[in-house]
Amino acid sequence: MEFECEQCGGQVQVPKDALSGELVSCKDCGSEYEIMIDENGTIELKAAEEVGEDWGE
Amino acid sequence: MEKTGENRVKLAIAYDLLRFEEKALYNEAQKLSVPVEMMHVDSLSFDLNTSDYIDRYDVLLQRCISHSRGLHVSAIFEAMGILAINSYEVSAICDDKLLTTLRLSRKGIPTPKTRVAFNQEQALKALDELGYPAVIKPIVGSWGRLVARVRDREEAAAVIESRASGSNPNDHILYLQEYIKRPQRDIRAIVAGDELIATVYRYQPPNDWRTNVARGGTSEEAKLGDAEREILLKAAEAVGGGILGIDAMEGPSGIVVHEVNSTVEFRGASTVSTNNIPRKMVEYALRVAKR
Ligand SMILES: [Zn+2]
Repeated sequence: MEFECEQCGGQVQVPKDALSGELVSCKDCGSEYEIMIDENGTIELKAAEEVGEDWGE
Repeated sequence: MEKTGENRVKLAIAYDLLRFEEKALYNEAQKLSVPVEMMHVDSLSFDLNTSDYIDRYDVLLQRCISHSRGLHVSAIFEAMGILAINSYEVSAICDDKLLTTLRLSRKGIPTPKTRVAFNQEQALKALDELGYPAVIKPIVGSWGRLVARVRDREEAAAVIESRASGSNPNDHILYLQEYIKRPQRDIRAIVAGDELIATVYRYQPPNDWRTNVARGGTSEEAKLGDAEREILLKAAEAVGGGILGIDAMEGPSGIVVHEVNSTVEFRGASTVSTNNIPRKMVEYALRVAKR
């Protein structure tokens, strides 16, 4: 499946077997997106978060 | 514990970002024919007034990168009667270096000399007693962020002042540690219950004295003696047990444990360990769920 990049209008590919929470990036500008899949299977892309203050192992 | 006429353990893996680790756990569960559900917590909401989850899951592997998110997901599952790995309590202890050090120290695990101060002046006095160089760390935080090595009182004062001026109240708690003279590597052990499933050396990247893999260090399998292995296992037990990453350093008088992580990253360790780390983790979850 293909999505349009918010930053440059380029193409962002989401693989068929993608899982929610997976990161994908725009081939043209490198912008990172997080895949969000809701209960109905609707796929949306959300700009990936910056590293949060409480992130890490 | 048999449920809904089926006795196969049902596993939930909660996560926020899907990394190598979460995928590997999912794949191993599938290879073992374990009913497994991936729960992307950002695309869900949780009903706090129900106990329905107990019919759907037996055990949770909590794998959120965000500490606060993970902590609360564990709390939700536990309240519904589902075993969470790691538990809310263990996660809360490991997320806080002060609480971790208290547990380690009380259980007699060798740990660096540590002082805590809530005031800049007291922090400098404590550092004078610890001696220089010393290390100033935030009590909350990961991947070595904001960890500073200070060579003298002047450097320490600058670091402490900048911490105290931040808006995060946790940064105002000054956690101070002796600097351990160690080789250019540290030890990362991965523990599942009472088993050491991986022990690796992590080498520090050039120009950085910290060894977090996230900062570009490299790994190599570590061969440890029985006494060292025992210390690492005891450290896991001291914080309450589960699936844990124990960080230790080789000091002049043996190993000292300085950190315990409750959401272990194992990508680096996987490339050098003889064990299948995610397989061992899933097997542990099944084992404890059946008890
Ligand atoms: Zn783009």
